[in-house]
Amino acid sequence: MNNLAKACGVELLKARRSRVPLFTALGFSLAPIAGGFFMVVLKDPEAARNMGLISTKAQILGGSADWPAYFGMLAQAVAVGGMVLFSFVVSWVFGREFSDRTVKDLLALPTPRRSIVVAKFIVVTLWAALLTVLVTVMGLGVGALVGLPPASSEIFFGGVQRIIACACLTLMSVTPVAFFAGVGRGYLAPMGISILFLVLAQLVGATGWGEFFPWSIAALYSGAAGAGFANLTWMSMLIVGLTGCAGFFGTILWWERADQNR
Amino acid sequence: MQPAIETHDLVKQYPAVRAVDAVSLRVEPGEIYAFLGLNGAGKTTTIRMLLGMIRMTSGKVRVLGQAVPGAEESLWASVGYMVETPQAYPELTVRENLEILRRLRPGLAAREVDHSIERLGLHAYADRRTGTLSLGNAQRLGLAKALMHAPKLLILDEPANGLDPAGIVEVRELLRSLAREHGVTIFMSSHILGEVSLLADRIGIIHEGRLIEEFDVDDLEKNRIRSLHIQARDMAGATARLTDAGYQPRPDGEGELILTDTSALERPEDITELLVHAGVKPYRVQLEQENLERYFLRLVGADNGEEA
Repeated sequence: MNNLAKACGVELLKARRSRVPLFTALGFSLAPIAGGFFMVVLKDPEAARNMGLISTKAQILGGSADWPAYFGMLAQAVAVGGMVLFSFVVSWVFGREFSDRTVKDLLALPTPRRSIVVAKFIVVTLWAALLTVLVTVMGLGVGALVGLPPASSEIFFGGVQRIIACACLTLMSVTPVAFFAGVGRGYLAPMGISILFLVLAQLVGATGWGEFFPWSIAALYSGAAGAGFANLTWMSMLIVGLTGCAGFFGTILWWERADQNR
Repeated sequence: MQPAIETHDLVKQYPAVRAVDAVSLRVEPGEIYAFLGLNGAGKTTTIRMLLGMIRMTSGKVRVLGQAVPGAEESLWASVGYMVETPQAYPELTVRENLEILRRLRPGLAAREVDHSIERLGLHAYADRRTGTLSLGNAQRLGLAKALMHAPKLLILDEPANGLDPAGIVEVRELLRSLAREHGVTIFMSSHILGEVSLLADRIGIIHEGRLIEEFDVDDLEKNRIRSLHIQARDMAGATARLTDAGYQPRPDGEGELILTDTSALERPEDITELLVHAGVKPYRVQLEQENLERYFLRLVGADNGEEA
């Protein structure tokens, strides 16, 4: 436990001193701002008609300018944007050790390799949690700023709950990216894999089998394919859970057992 | 006393190449063992197997009495290492890079970071980002990371790489003092025999994955070929006289005669006397010893037949 705590401290230091958290925060900040913009557009139909395509797009995504629609947009941003940004975070946290060739300093230490891997996953989870909090808090602020009509506390709790659930599902589905960071020995391969996951998610989602494809499930739950798909079965949750476990334990096994030539 | 490092028939087979082939070696506690080989000879692969970074195809490794892989993590508290070119987190300072290693080696006092910085002469760069360090200072940082926890065993891959001549001497003295005064065992790789002969107690030469020669550094002198080099105005006459006297002179192609007969090497003055009396006065008679570089290349079969 002591080893794990120290390894977490080390990973936090590396993250704190890099610019990547700032970039991811900036990236995620776009979601509530863009959502707020669409709400402004939706609030004034005359202006929306004058804006052409943007207004049409806003109708598709949000429909109406209220808190449920706005929370739906934020949940979709966390599910789909999170797939990219969380993958980026995982790729950087794990892949940079191989790209920078610093991994060799972590392999023959009194701190076990599995503690280092677990510490990295903990930091990724914290990082994702902070990004989710950022989106949620900014979303509440932007929603209030654009003057969305008042809503019940159930709508607020439900909306925030859905954003958090989407973040959890997305985070679990990207753990295999850490495994590919090891196998690909860097951060390019895992980024490529995450883009592949995203493309496949679109394809599988279009065929109607998205609820069984781990990288489609968070987006479906967010309502990206319509409210009718947002109520997922336990099977979908199980698939995401198993994917998360496979990525987590696969990465530990890879660090412990694979030949480390970097 | 159990050896600090012991390998038995160590093999690493990759699909296309046998990187390490049946290497058996033994490094005694407190010894400085130099593992010498050309680039790609199998030095780093062996070192990575000693550190449990890559798995052997077959054979056995024991480090400080524990089998690797399978050793307890606590083993690595007694081992310091540097593999290939040292790397560091470029956005972190020298001090922060050392701090990271200190935290991952539980029980190490915070002052050890400053101690390491002082010991390796990095105080001027302590708060500088490592991405801006020269190769020599990056090497010093790598050594600082390997030495920070006062290990019993040091495994160093080309420790002098990138250092300037003053740095090479400084690191050599540091390693010598660790071994002689603190009993630290040092296993170091290199491809420069001249460099390691000034420091090592024993030298193992690896070539194409095989340990082809192992000798004490004290034997280095007697293992190297000696030859007597002769130059005279009348080289044909000198050759004839020496041959008549039972020697086996051979031209080196650069205007010299070479003698390797034991009697000539032991008493070169007899050769001078013989030639002077025969009227073919030599203007140069010199006993030369194969230099270390040539000796090493001869051992690994890469000397192209050139003379010392």
